[in-house]
Amino acid sequence: MITRRHLLQTAGLGAGALALGAMPASRLLAAGNLTFVSWGGTTQDGQKASWADPFTQKTGIDVLQDGPTDYGKLKAMIDAGNTVWDVVDVEGDYAYQAAENGLLEPIDYSIVKKDNLDPRFSFDYGVGSFYYSFVLGYNKDAVGSNTPEGWADIFDTKRFPGKRSFWKWSSPGVLEMALLADGVAPDKLYPLDLDRAFAKLDTIKKDILWWASGAESQQQLASGEVALGKFWNGRMYALEQSGANTGISWKQNMALADILVVPKGTKNKEAAMKFLALAASPEGQAAFANATAYAPTNTASIPLVDKKIQSILPSEHTESQITLDMRYWAKNRDEIGKRWYAWQAA
Amino acid sequence: MFEAISNNPYRSLRAPRVDLRRLRPALPALIFLFVFMVVPLSSLLLLSVTKPEIGLGNYISLLGDATYGRVLLNTFTIAAIVTLVTLIIAYPVAWLLAILPSRVSQIFFAIILLSMWTNLLARTYGWMVLLQRTGVINRMLMEIGLIHQPLPLINNLVGVTIGMTYIMLPYVILPLHATISGIDPAIMQAAAITGAKPRQIFWHVMLPLSLPGIGAGCMMVFVMALGYYVTPALLGGTANMMLAEMIAQQVQSLLNWGLGSAAAFILLAVTLIFYAIYVRAIGLGRVR
Repeated sequence: MITRRHLLQTAGLGAGALALGAMPASRLLAAGNLTFVSWGGTTQDGQKASWADPFTQKTGIDVLQDGPTDYGKLKAMIDAGNTVWDVVDVEGDYAYQAAENGLLEPIDYSIVKKDNLDPRFSFDYGVGSFYYSFVLGYNKDAVGSNTPEGWADIFDTKRFPGKRSFWKWSSPGVLEMALLADGVAPDKLYPLDLDRAFAKLDTIKKDILWWASGAESQQQLASGEVALGKFWNGRMYALEQSGANTGISWKQNMALADILVVPKGTKNKEAAMKFLALAASPEGQAAFANATAYAPTNTASIPLVDKKIQSILPSEHTESQITLDMRYWAKNRDEIGKRWYAWQAA
Repeated sequence: MFEAISNNPYRSLRAPRVDLRRLRPALPALIFLFVFMVVPLSSLLLLSVTKPEIGLGNYISLLGDATYGRVLLNTFTIAAIVTLVTLIIAYPVAWLLAILPSRVSQIFFAIILLSMWTNLLARTYGWMVLLQRTGVINRMLMEIGLIHQPLPLINNLVGVTIGMTYIMLPYVILPLHATISGIDPAIMQAAAITGAKPRQIFWHVMLPLSLPGIGAGCMMVFVMALGYYVTPALLGGTANMMLAEMIAQQVQSLLNWGLGSAAAFILLAVTLIFYAIYVRAIGLGRVR
């Protein structure tokens, strides 16, 4: 899933390389430094400003920014016993799977304060980085006078003609959407009935376009190339802000988190734990939410978040919210992935 | 005895005796190729037969599985279609370039080369803007009332073919132009004088004489097309997945390095087979 946030990553990579090149050699050799890896773009910028910079100020430990997150690379360096990434932002389901496969260091909860961490997004081997929701986004010109209100409307090609678009990669969300639209109760989603989900998706298969990066999803919806689809809430908010004639339905929005993990064998374990303590703290999470409009994974952060930003966070839309089951996905990731790509290619 | 051999006029047709000392100037290039090509390729081969377990399991599942089979078939079909379409478009262009006065043809060459030097990704995004449902072409056709529903020009085989053909054109035009310019016009004249009609002259004289250029261009395009990644990923749909995209998916998303490596090796083997066929049929010396 390296391709996630594709365009931004490349930008982030370039910026990271530049920063590295510009850094004086003495700082690279300093006793205390830490390598933080994320997806680049505005997300990593926010993480740097909200966590890395205050961390360096507080501890004197330099934080090198690297990226983009690449699971293949991560596994390779752990296998080779040469772990140079100390803290990595990964997708939730990957974090649980990597923990299962022994790729991660356990979190030291004597350093990281557990009190207010949302238990949905933090566990023995990772702390929540931020959380977001998949929401139904639509182009108002394309849907006309009808307003789509739930996942079932995505499958109603009569009332809502045109293309619909979903995230291309095998990952939590699209299968759940199909089952919810087919009438499965939210508390009966897992284990996923894959046959039923793919059968439901088959009914609109010819109308599906895929987006492979956040920027692509925005382009597709704003241009009317697709009429509606399932998108990241932050991207839809940014689109509305930019003046595009689009709308959001929060009904049964699907919450999912990125998780911060510490790869096995890091030489800076203690510094990494201290970094996580700051990142997961109420202040760290609030600062990041203010910078990016992603939701905090620390429940004590909410009051510290800007009022205007609070109103657009998934944490304000929890009545019908569904939390995607990352443990289920961690166990079944590979098997579902195979079937997903086979179905796409068929 | 050695002198006798060296005086033999047919000497060059036999396997030449390689004097290793004469390879010395090529040493830097050979070392480079060894370090950056032979070594990584060998480790790739090793991965494909050791991960996740030792044996040919990866190759068996690649060739036996319906999905992977489909991707392989897609890859060859798309490469073949693109090669054919490119040739059909490139031939008249190469011909025209050969008969135009050189001052005019130089302008055309500049246009062709300029497009070749433009960034691949930028050109592919350009096609997206043109081809999508709300793109320039569909809007224009709808505006003038030729169509009422947008034509499906992207995220399918049509999009892939258009995008790839455009990128491949110079690779056929250039070798074809070289071959066609080398054909003595007097031969065509002779055919006409002896009563051949224009169509006959083309099919029986010109086309056979331009075969080396056709072969070189087509082979280049076909082999390049087999390994294409960006253009099919952006302009095709998931149903048009080609081998390169599948390899990326296996390695990056499913972390299945063994299968990815095996797929890469199949691609390499097929490429070498086509190259061997070409060398046998047309001869290495005539590849220009």
